[in-house]
Amino acid sequence: MDQIINNLQQFWEYTGFANVTYQHILMICIGIVFITMAIVKEWEPLLLIPIGFGMIIGNIPLFPGLSVGIYEEGSVLNILYHGVQKGWYPPLIFLGIGAMTDFSSLISNPKLLLIGAAAQFGIFAAYSTSLLLGFEPSAAGAIGIIGGADGPTAIFLSSRLAPDLMGAIAVSAYSYMALVPVIQPPIMRLLTTKKERLIKMKPPRAVSKMEKIIFPIVGLLLTAFIVPSGLPLLGMLFFGNLLKESGVTRRLAETARGPIIDIVTILIGLTVGCSTQADKFLQLDSVLIFGLGAMSFVVATAAGVLFVKLLNLLLKPGNKINPLIGNAGVSAVPDSARVSEVTGLTYDRTNHLLMHAMGPNVAGVIGSAVAAGILLGFLS
Amino acid sequence: MKKHYKFILAGFIMLFHVSLWGQSMIDLRLNELLITNTQDYQDDFGMHSSWFEIFNTGYGTVDIGGCYLSNDPADLKKYTIPRGDILTKIKPRQHLLFWADSKPHRGSFHVNFTLENSEVLILTSSDGSTILDMVRLPSELEPNRSFGRLVDGEGSYGPGSDNTGWAVLSRTSPSTNNHSLDGKSRSEMMKETDPFGWIMAAMAMSVVFLSLVLLYLVFKGTGNIALRWSQKKADAYHKAQAVPLAETSGETFAAIAAALHLYANENEVHDVESTILTIEQVRRNYSPWNSKIQSLRRSPDMKKK
Repeated sequence: MDQIINNLQQFWEYTGFANVTYQHILMICIGIVFITMAIVKEWEPLLLIPIGFGMIIGNIPLFPGLSVGIYEEGSVLNILYHGVQKGWYPPLIFLGIGAMTDFSSLISNPKLLLIGAAAQFGIFAAYSTSLLLGFEPSAAGAIGIIGGADGPTAIFLSSRLAPDLMGAIAVSAYSYMALVPVIQPPIMRLLTTKKERLIKMKPPRAVSKMEKIIFPIVGLLLTAFIVPSGLPLLGMLFFGNLLKESGVTRRLAETARGPIIDIVTILIGLTVGCSTQADKFLQLDSVLIFGLGAMSFVVATAAGVLFVKLLNLLLKPGNKINPLIGNAGVSAVPDSARVSEVTGLTYDRTNHLLMHAMGPNVAGVIGSAVAAGILLGFLS
Repeated sequence: MKKHYKFILAGFIMLFHVSLWGQSMIDLRLNELLITNTQDYQDDFGMHSSWFEIFNTGYGTVDIGGCYLSNDPADLKKYTIPRGDILTKIKPRQHLLFWADSKPHRGSFHVNFTLENSEVLILTSSDGSTILDMVRLPSELEPNRSFGRLVDGEGSYGPGSDNTGWAVLSRTSPSTNNHSLDGKSRSEMMKETDPFGWIMAAMAMSVVFLSLVLLYLVFKGTGNIALRWSQKKADAYHKAQAVPLAETSGETFAAIAAALHLYANENEVHDVESTILTIEQVRRNYSPWNSKIQSLRRSPDMKKK
């Protein structure tokens, strides 16, 4: 009889009910909020559902030593998490992004590239503030990259510079990317006049196939020669784009922008969600990271909009740029471009800004990858 | 037939090079040596013998099993480093120590010659002829003092090495770095030089802008060339009427293409509504995996009575 009672007692100790803490419950609730946001509001469902569900999986209270948890060497989740830790999921995502991105608007109007550069200011504003709050420079660099609004880049850089903060940084980056339609419009409205919002831009010219093929090759050579540490991201981005534009590797391009990116998105989302295990995640640093992430998004958006206004001072009347596309310099593709379109339409139902906004949007992807390369080069 | 031989030969050469370069043996350097050892580092048998160190300058593990060591330029294969010993793998930026005690039966890392009375030490690749590194031993070296590279792996190397970068070291450092850094990481150094991150911000933003400005300039240039080229072609076609392509948007071309498509397929399937354009894929992409024959589970055949 004693034996049976002992066994039952041991079984009870193995259950989640015996090991649960309020932190676990809190994290599970946050996971459910993410899933709800994704389903009800349709905010970045492809990311928030895997991350939200991952949060639930990662916060099931476990008896230590079962080799099940994501931080336990050799467990299934731990093996899947290697792609995040070692940084090989993000370049695969960039391959897919390259294979699905049309750079025509950027090629037809290359000055839009500069908006993508200006928006990276958010990264370095967050970097400086993080240093003031007492973070080490490597951790500050990893936190700053949230302002690049690029989940894979944030994961890639934090895995190298601050692996302990990766969960908080990744969740923060993806959360704010999902909240782009909420964060950006008030800043855009605040920094622009009604007259500026009504600016109609010249439609982009037709871009030849040759130009589209040259773009990834020259783009890679120029950016990677300047910042070789960004090679994993830049190389895969431009390689994916060449697969798309060459016209002779359709099958490879379709695989890169279809099955590969889908599989990696599932794995990266789920494992990043799992990595938010309560005991590692719920700390003061995580709260600070969320605050800094919000700040960097705000600064990046403002910097993009203000830079367009500055640029307009130098442009001829017919060539003015609508500052509502400035926000698209943060590289949350294509959500920030969609925000430009929607905001522009509220002021003029005939003023479609989407194609113009895609220029700074993809320039933002390049810019954030370059910025990540610089941070890696200086701080690793 | 001769062509075939050429291909086979080329294949062998490539294979040879791949094996040599794939192993990154070219990253190996002789790094430090001690000729007369009376009080310095002891081997596993408690003996004081001459020793030398090989350093892997690369960022990948190199297996030196099968390479050769010698103190005689006429006999490069004097000592063969045994293959199959897991300890012959040198990790990135790490060292491997050999004892020159002429007692090879004591293990893989005891060679069959000594450094005393030797003039040269040579490391040869597994092909037996490519000298990876060599060093001329100093004629007068005090006992228990080592001769090595001032900075690990740096200086002249290879068959023509003239000992540039080598010197008598202030202390012996078997299996460790000859030149040790002060231990501060880049991040720590940044914290000291730039506590508020402003220099970093200014520098990094300049580099981001520089990269994208370069891209801007290149694509502005290629765009102009492409436009001029297309304009030339268009002008040759429309001799009488000039069509300025630079001012014609892509949307115009898309509209013309759509109109042509509709015109060419007047009798094909498209929506009746004037404002909706439907583009349907007519041809289905064939894939053998869609075939029922390829299915793993086949539906059972129903036998008719």
